[in-house]
Amino acid sequence: MLRRLAIMLALAVAAVAVGVAAGSSGWGWATPEILWKIRVPRVLAGFGAGAALALAGALMQLLTRNPLADPYVLGLSGGASVGALLMLWLGTLGGTMLLPDWSVAIGSGAGALVAAAVLFVLSWRLLGRTGLAATQESSVALLLVGVMIGTACSAFVSMLLVLASEMQLRGMVFWLLGDLNGATQWGVAWVAWLAALALVWPTARQLDWLARGDAWAATLGVPVVRRRRVALAAAALATGAAVATAGAIGFVGLVVPHALRLIGARTAAVLLPASALGGGAFVVLADAVARTVVAPVQLPVGVIAAAVGVPSFLVLLLQGGRRRGR
Amino acid sequence: MSRSKVDGSGSAPAGSPLHSSRDASSHAGMPSAATSQAALIEPLLSVTGLGLRAGGLPDGRLLFERLGFDVRAGECWVVLGPNGSGKSSLLAALAGVFERASGEVVIDGQALDAWKPDALADRRAWCPQFWSDPFPSSVLDTVQLARNRHDAWLFETPEPDDAVQGLMARLELVELASADVRTLSGGERQRVAIATALLQDAPLLLLDEPASHLDLGHQQLLVDVLRGHADSGGAVVVSLHDLNLAWDLADHVVLLDGRGGAAAGPRAAMMKPARLGAAFGVAIQQVAVASQQRFWSGLRGEEADR
Repeated sequence: MLRRLAIMLALAVAAVAVGVAAGSSGWGWATPEILWKIRVPRVLAGFGAGAALALAGALMQLLTRNPLADPYVLGLSGGASVGALLMLWLGTLGGTMLLPDWSVAIGSGAGALVAAAVLFVLSWRLLGRTGLAATQESSVALLLVGVMIGTACSAFVSMLLVLASEMQLRGMVFWLLGDLNGATQWGVAWVAWLAALALVWPTARQLDWLARGDAWAATLGVPVVRRRRVALAAAALATGAAVATAGAIGFVGLVVPHALRLIGARTAAVLLPASALGGGAFVVLADAVARTVVAPVQLPVGVIAAAVGVPSFLVLLLQGGRRRGR
Repeated sequence: MSRSKVDGSGSAPAGSPLHSSRDASSHAGMPSAATSQAALIEPLLSVTGLGLRAGGLPDGRLLFERLGFDVRAGECWVVLGPNGSGKSSLLAALAGVFERASGEVVIDGQALDAWKPDALADRRAWCPQFWSDPFPSSVLDTVQLARNRHDAWLFETPEPDDAVQGLMARLELVELASADVRTLSGGERQRVAIATALLQDAPLLLLDEPASHLDLGHQQLLVDVLRGHADSGGAVVVSLHDLNLAWDLADHVVLLDGRGGAAAGPRAAMMKPARLGAAFGVAIQQVAVASQQRFWSGLRGEEADR
């Protein structure tokens, strides 16, 4: 398994190399200025966002015991969307740029933080419940709290889209699709995914036990309540940083951990770091395609992620299903 | 009264040389050298004045109160009682994952709450009635979940050692080793869960209805495996619904009546037909079939006479 993790790491490095080499004017090394000012920061931002999202997705799936959970079920991306769109709307109110570019990242980061705070206040007691019956109940309740926050946010987003002018609308839609265009701030996503991984990786085995049942994990000595809260905090941190960096890129958080499970990453000790590396590589490659396929037009990375990811995931899923039958 | 007198020859599994030693170590027998010696052995599990409420909540329905018993090495205890009488809650409370309304639970001479949770995992294993299997996991990985549990950085399940291979062969899981647990039948999944609990290597085993999905042959196998665990120095507390299976496995019984009553004691005293009938609300008769004690239920007085 360590060997597989090493392969994942090599794959991630290769993806970064491809990402740096791919340009809107064809493949190859760009001038140093373009390379260091545009491509490298963009590739690093994409990698960081993808790693954070896939890691958060793996955590949310473990935490809710639900293979369909993704980072967005918590409603954090909803909060980030509201913050970002609010900035886009205010920033260009009256037709002139009032706020600098990075205000959108600040807005989405703040939005994700507010949503995370609301989530924690509402679910703190749910996460603290233990016992025989509470196991299933609290997972479902946590999902429902997240869905409610997300629903409230999406209503707010719809309102902002209606209020926006034609000119603002384009930027807003691109942001909502997940866009690395002009992304230069990569530090936040990297700090977040590395910190989140550092928080949960050392207790990976306990997370595996928790997925089987809270009470059973408790009999093995797992501090159930603390593990759940730390895992949720790590997922929230990673998700917030990812959407602040690259917008709401869908699909990565749901599918990367799932695909890794299908190819044999079964314990959390392997799944968590593999998800981070795989998610980062996936977004970098998707972004490389997004920049080059109809150059000079740059597609939103979220579009390519879904266009490439959905068919390959379905192939993996259906083949795996056939192999598993006995 | 002594077990050997009441049970006669019928209760011992055919050809079991273990049965007589089981009876001799029973602390509830007549005062004798054997029993007073047994009293000196510290119980693996000691329960005094235990009371539980539904859901572990202070305002929950009273399940039972003032339950006390000692479980010593070599003993198999069966928890009997109707639905909702608190069998699962009792086992969870003994495992330390269910809030007690009153009373004390002592494991290896140390109060449950005084144990460090991960040290306690070396002393008792709890097998819940329901498992969640949200993600793919092979049978081989699942039975070894609680093994090597002090090894925090376990990237993959190690090669199965002799104990794992032996138990998997015993529980007929070898052919299923690479199957995904989510594709197993109810009985197969249950055998996997039993293996997981046994492979935790704790002397005190607490199993919540481990036979509910097992066919007749595997029920017998379960009895043999659990007796083997007790005979090798462990102890078993297990909830069951099948009275005959309970009779075959138990040397002691906890009987919950679902109306707040709870009693514990040697098998013969606890499993008197009238007593069981009162707890379950059905007429129960005990008959000897091919020199084995069996229980009939469901026929009320006059119907039974016809």
